[in-house]
Amino acid sequence: MDSTAGVVFMSETALQLANDGAVLSLRSVDLDFHRRTGLLGSVPVPILQRVDLDLLRGETLGVIGLNGCGKSSLMRVLAGILAPTRGSIALRQGTTRAVLALGLGFRPELTGRDNALLSAMLQGCSREQAEGYLDAILDFSELNEYFEQPVSTYSSGMRSRLGFSTALISQVDILFIDEVLAVGDASFRQKASAAIKEKIRGEQTVVLVSHNLQEVEELCDRVALIHAGRLMELGPTLEVTDSYRKLLNDLARSRST
Amino acid sequence: MNLQSFYRYFSLVDIQARMSLRADASRMYLGYLWWTLEPLLYVAVFYLVFDVILSSGRADFLLFLACGKLPFMWFSGSVNTASNAMLNAKGLIGQSRLPKVLFPLARVQEGLYRQATVFCVLILLLLLSGVAPGASWLWLFPIMLVQYLIIVPCAIFAALLVCIARDFMRVVSLGTVFLLFVSGIFWDVRDVASVQTQQLILTVNPLAFILDAYRQALLYGVAPDGIHLLVLGAVGLLASVLMMKLVSRLDQWIALRVLSS
Repeated sequence: MDSTAGVVFMSETALQLANDGAVLSLRSVDLDFHRRTGLLGSVPVPILQRVDLDLLRGETLGVIGLNGCGKSSLMRVLAGILAPTRGSIALRQGTTRAVLALGLGFRPELTGRDNALLSAMLQGCSREQAEGYLDAILDFSELNEYFEQPVSTYSSGMRSRLGFSTALISQVDILFIDEVLAVGDASFRQKASAAIKEKIRGEQTVVLVSHNLQEVEELCDRVALIHAGRLMELGPTLEVTDSYRKLLNDLARSRST
Repeated sequence: MNLQSFYRYFSLVDIQARMSLRADASRMYLGYLWWTLEPLLYVAVFYLVFDVILSSGRADFLLFLACGKLPFMWFSGSVNTASNAMLNAKGLIGQSRLPKVLFPLARVQEGLYRQATVFCVLILLLLLSGVAPGASWLWLFPIMLVQYLIIVPCAIFAALLVCIARDFMRVVSLGTVFLLFVSGIFWDVRDVASVQTQQLILTVNPLAFILDAYRQALLYGVAPDGIHLLVLGAVGLLASVLMMKLVSRLDQWIALRVLSS
């Protein structure tokens, strides 16, 4: 597949990058959501505040933090799905980016084959390319004759196997992964994790949003710790995961007293 | 937009529409049969009410009604289902940078495929009722094309409004009911006594003109006003392009609205 297939239609606005090794940078980025209040009123709810971040070419950056701290929103700003409310974002010219999404656009009434086709096309493949991937998806997902059955008849493990195998075809310069590494039963999980690791190694730039510290420590070069919408710490993996463990301990202690 | 990206664009709209139709059919015991059953049931109800119960004065009232109501349902159905298309695609919008206009367009495309069967049913009804086919029937295709070009911008606009506030779903659905009464479906625009009022309705309300054009071409063997049709088509095309550009400019704003809804 050509490397541009992940993002087909959107033209990226490339700005001057501050750092030479960076493929993507955020400068004092704020993101607000709006909550409705009464008739016709709304108040801004800050989700991210003054985030500065450089994503370096070829690195695997982990993003960790508590539930609701703004990890996924940060990922969406980095992936270009959401625009910052304030601040600026710069992307190296010609860089493609996409979220590795399990079961993108799946419909339970359709067969595994139809869903894989649909999902591959939503990820940017042409119909011919998508059809060319079907055998590989069938093979990797180990669904065998279930591939021709409606997804509604699948177990949740089978569904995620299909979703993972379809998502794996995505080929872009920056790949965003949000909590999808652990799918299926033990043996499939091993295979899935090996496939992801193979993707992560080498040239691929990856942003991995995860709760699983062990996984982050194993895979990431650097880690960003997000707390209450702010970038609390950014640095070498073990330093930051240590701080995060301390933060978790502090929170547990303050809760118990 | 170049030809290749247009083709990709279209194939995405097309695959979404087809898959949605397939999924829909597989949920029902009668599956694709519903496509023909639904318009047939409508015609049956019209027959019961207007020919049997009311035995209305107009001999061809059943056909008159079918030629107006069935194409109108194409418009109202498409615009209504498209109105919540972006809001309902929350999952996809949160995980991808697909152009948002894709979602209402897929619903419109789905409506087009369904409507093809409905028009077949309509033609069959006309033939069975003894209406002689003529060269004027060929007007069906340009009229359908123009109606499609009116549906597209309306559907995209409706979806955009619903992104601004969910309340617009009600407004859109009430609006289509309002249009049902003012577009000359149960009454004939040509029966309006004042010529000025008649002209006004046909000029201001494109649907009234379109529905009248279907009737003229299919029932009375009369060609519709070609210039009027051409102008409507051009306006529809322009409005479609503008709507697509607007949605593409608002892309990340729409994502924010949908994700925080």
